[in-house]
Amino acid sequence: MKVLICIDDTDNLESRGTGDLAEQLATEIEERNWGRSEFVTRHQLLVHPDVPYTSHNSSMCFAAEIGEQYLPALVERAKAFLVEESAEGSDPGLAVAVPDNLSDTALLVDFGRRAKREVLRKQDAYDLAAAQGIHLSEHGGTGHGVIGALAGIGLRMSGNDGRIKGWLEIPTRDGMARVADIVEQFQLGGVRSMTGDLLEENDLVAVGEKPKAVYLDGKPFLMVSPLTDAGPARWKTSCRRELKKY
Amino acid sequence: MWDIVEQGRKLFRHGREDFQAAVQAASDCPAFREDVEEEWVTDEARSCYNCRFRRWTPDSFLCQAAAG
Repeated sequence: MKVLICIDDTDNLESRGTGDLAEQLATEIEERNWGRSEFVTRHQLLVHPDVPYTSHNSSMCFAAEIGEQYLPALVERAKAFLVEESAEGSDPGLAVAVPDNLSDTALLVDFGRRAKREVLRKQDAYDLAAAQGIHLSEHGGTGHGVIGALAGIGLRMSGNDGRIKGWLEIPTRDGMARVADIVEQFQLGGVRSMTGDLLEENDLVAVGEKPKAVYLDGKPFLMVSPLTDAGPARWKTSCRRELKKY
Repeated sequence: MWDIVEQGRKLFRHGREDFQAAVQAASDCPAFREDVEEEWVTDEARSCYNCRFRRWTPDSFLCQAAAG
């Protein structure tokens, strides 16, 4: 079965990031032979004086395909993991959802989108999670991370939010790579321009430093921007400034 | 470069889109510390915009570094 796991507010100014913890949990699922984990997505939530957060207010979500019998153990392990690994002074929250069991995914997606533009309450998150049969729990501090954790599930389910944690180490020749090779190596949905055009298989891309993928149409896409040089590549990987909006 | 706001905190005067100023501010800051990769918003590693001690606000960021 497919599960979505999201954590939020596990860090402080001195600790490891929430993304590292999500990645570690994803790895642990595979090490325990419970199933296969996917990439981690980072979801930006509202930045507002009334929202408590350390420095950026983002949550981290990943999907895993696991044996159904392992779900209770996964939830228990994730809870214990947050207790063990969350930083002092943090307000960690955990959400675990089984997409096939949700009665109304639109409500969950809407909650995620609202968390990007409104101040939401913990009780809002608990009410929605209970109605949809989603595991939602807090593991220290104020527990405000449950809001971001549930919102992250909704945003991942939307298929159109967030950047993929980490970067793509793309092999190049003369600083360039062919679209088909990039897509195949990293199992991408494609290579797309910032204006929404999908590049052709044989298009060449000039590869910049630490290129990142974003989550669109339920898949990771490498984003590129037009290159006006006279060289063979008409595109270059988009820089982080350009990817801020994802 | 900075405005001192309530509780003596430092608010970056140049907002969220002045990448050059953010690099300049970080260049001689003894407290600068790179944030985790997924929170970087610019390719210049040493920028206040990529610093662990910046706390984003709707229009800019507050510096949370004790010696920043």
